[in-house]
Amino acid sequence: MSENALIEIRNLHAMAGDTPILNGIDLELHAGEVHAIMGPNGSGKSTLSNVLVGKPGYEVTEGEVRFRGQDLLEMDPEIRAREGVFLAFQYPVEIPGVSNSHFLRSAVNAVREHRGEEDLDAIDFLSLLREKMKLVEMPEDMMSRAVNEGFSGGEKKRNEILQMLLLDPGFCILDETDSGLDIDALRIVANGVNQMRSPDRAMLVITHYQRLLEYIVPDHVHVLSGGRIVRSGGKDLALELEEKGYGWITDADAAQPPRTPKADSNAASAGS
Amino acid sequence: MSAAFESLSALRSEVLDRLRDGEADWIGRLRDEAMTSFEEQGFPTRHLEDWKSTNLAPLEAISFERVGTPEQNPVVVTGDGVPELRFVDGRLDSANTQAENLPAGVRLASFAEVRRQAPELLEGRLAGLASPKRNAMVALQTAFLDDGAVLTIDAGVEVDTPIKLCFSTSGDATSPASAAFPRLLVVAGERSRGTISIECEATAPGLTAMVAEFYLAAGARFESVQIQDEYAGRVHFTSTHARLERGASFDSLVYSLSPGLIRSELEIELAEPGAETRMRGFYLGRGDGHVDHFTTVDHAAESCTSDEEYRGVLGDRANGVFRGRVIVRPDAQKTDAHQSNPNLLISEHAGVDSKPQLEIYADDVRASHGSTTGQLDPDALFFLRARGIDARAARLLLTRAFAHKIVDCIENERLRASTSTRVDLALATLDSDVPSGVGGSSG
Repeated sequence: MSENALIEIRNLHAMAGDTPILNGIDLELHAGEVHAIMGPNGSGKSTLSNVLVGKPGYEVTEGEVRFRGQDLLEMDPEIRAREGVFLAFQYPVEIPGVSNSHFLRSAVNAVREHRGEEDLDAIDFLSLLREKMKLVEMPEDMMSRAVNEGFSGGEKKRNEILQMLLLDPGFCILDETDSGLDIDALRIVANGVNQMRSPDRAMLVITHYQRLLEYIVPDHVHVLSGGRIVRSGGKDLALELEEKGYGWITDADAAQPPRTPKADSNAASAGS
Repeated sequence: MSAAFESLSALRSEVLDRLRDGEADWIGRLRDEAMTSFEEQGFPTRHLEDWKSTNLAPLEAISFERVGTPEQNPVVVTGDGVPELRFVDGRLDSANTQAENLPAGVRLASFAEVRRQAPELLEGRLAGLASPKRNAMVALQTAFLDDGAVLTIDAGVEVDTPIKLCFSTSGDATSPASAAFPRLLVVAGERSRGTISIECEATAPGLTAMVAEFYLAAGARFESVQIQDEYAGRVHFTSTHARLERGASFDSLVYSLSPGLIRSELEIELAEPGAETRMRGFYLGRGDGHVDHFTTVDHAAESCTSDEEYRGVLGDRANGVFRGRVIVRPDAQKTDAHQSNPNLLISEHAGVDSKPQLEIYADDVRASHGSTTGQLDPDALFFLRARGIDARAARLLLTRAFAHKIVDCIENERLRASTSTRVDLALATLDSDVPSGVGGSSG
């Protein structure tokens, strides 16, 4: 592994409940890179993103993840977020009674405090918020509403990207951000993500379809199957998958059973 | 015979001459009959259906040394132009009271003054709704009738500023046990409008037993905001009664924030067609607290509406009780009655006992009720943490959102703001190490 990788995932094994899902993931991302992870349903894509942000319910049984050289898996979820790991959720939760602007300001100030920066007062926060809202074409009334409550699918995803823009993370994970989006919403979301591309930042774009990658063009594409990366390539790999489907890769992979910490009977039925 | 019973009986004999001095005979008789009624009934026990979930043993064990003796401790009043009566140990603290700034047609006076100088204001109303015979704690309160407040608003008069009543105690946690028995009577004339705020903030051990009666004439609109925010060693009893005539509207909002033993009763009679009531309650159980909300709404006439929502947050080892009785009498057609009681348990040692009780004797009725008990949504907690908000702050944010549904519905803006602050202060004391649906990291 090179010394300056922003994030290094090494031989990562993880279980959801009693089921092994990730069976030895090796991946490294450098600052400035955008990687895409593609794969069929149940290949472990969402589990990977959930494990990276510390969602309860998963157990890492083997391997490690280092973020800027630090042991990521040792950190509580809020510390990971403050250190700069951000997941745009596939299904953002609704939080009745908590206004979106109050939530966003609490989050921004939690991250700023961790970085040793001063809290933003209401006025400074508002001007930052307005600036970022423009990038995702978000109407102002969505700030006074409760977090994601009554938002359409597209509005929720735009709200996720808005959070990403505000928190300014070093490592962004986008989990099926394209799912449920019409073409206009997809364009807005992709535009927000592309604003975030920078030499200091790495992105992991998880998607089932190639469509999103027309808007967010990756540097590298990986195919996940059976909880392992079974193929890596350039952006053309995504086009090849679009043309041929996943069968030609996963069939080849099926000949070689996934490695599991304990070779138990559940291994074959692993799914996320 | 319990320590409380004996000590209160003895204290009553001591103060009785002072109480009777200069008052109308019928009030003295009411007080004595109430005492007889209390002696017959004794303190309520858990054998009684209405007291099944609340044990008054901690109250019975108290040996009272003082009752309703005002002390000349100065009470700081934050004079913001709001008419305000301040009570210490249940008696008016006249030095710190301002009953000016009231519009014509509004009278606010101490109960002690009214029962001596204008007893006709009380006649036919005092104890007309809160019956000593049916309720031993009401009997005890009535047996000590002394001070409190009487508010009357003439027909057609509208008062925008809230009228504040503050009940505090002299002394602190180390003081000997004292009892206070404040009494309230509110008479709102036809088409009148008013708002009252009743705050109890005792700092000494003992008992606060308050009885309030509201009479709303046709078309009157009244909002009552009660805050129970007393020291943990104080037992709090409140029995609030309201009777609504044709088209009257009564909003009752009660906030139980004390970490001690609370029994809070609310009984609303929708006596004539078109009357409507909104009943809102929030209770926060902390420490070893026990909060019992015992509510009744009686649809006695047609086309009345009741809308009840009590929300509870129970932490530490606290216990919450909610009883919501809805009676729809045979003549009360076109009744609209809704009730809900969501509870949030934020500690595994906390508990709640929720009992909706619908008694419907009419057939053209819309009625619904729902009671839920749950924990903070683990997905929402994780979402907040994944945005950098620490677990404690995330729990507080979600708990606050749950509670504030009952704060945001206060109509009077000034009261909404002050209540919001008070509820937030109480929420901020919740145990920070309470386990929740979200564990640590997956690593």
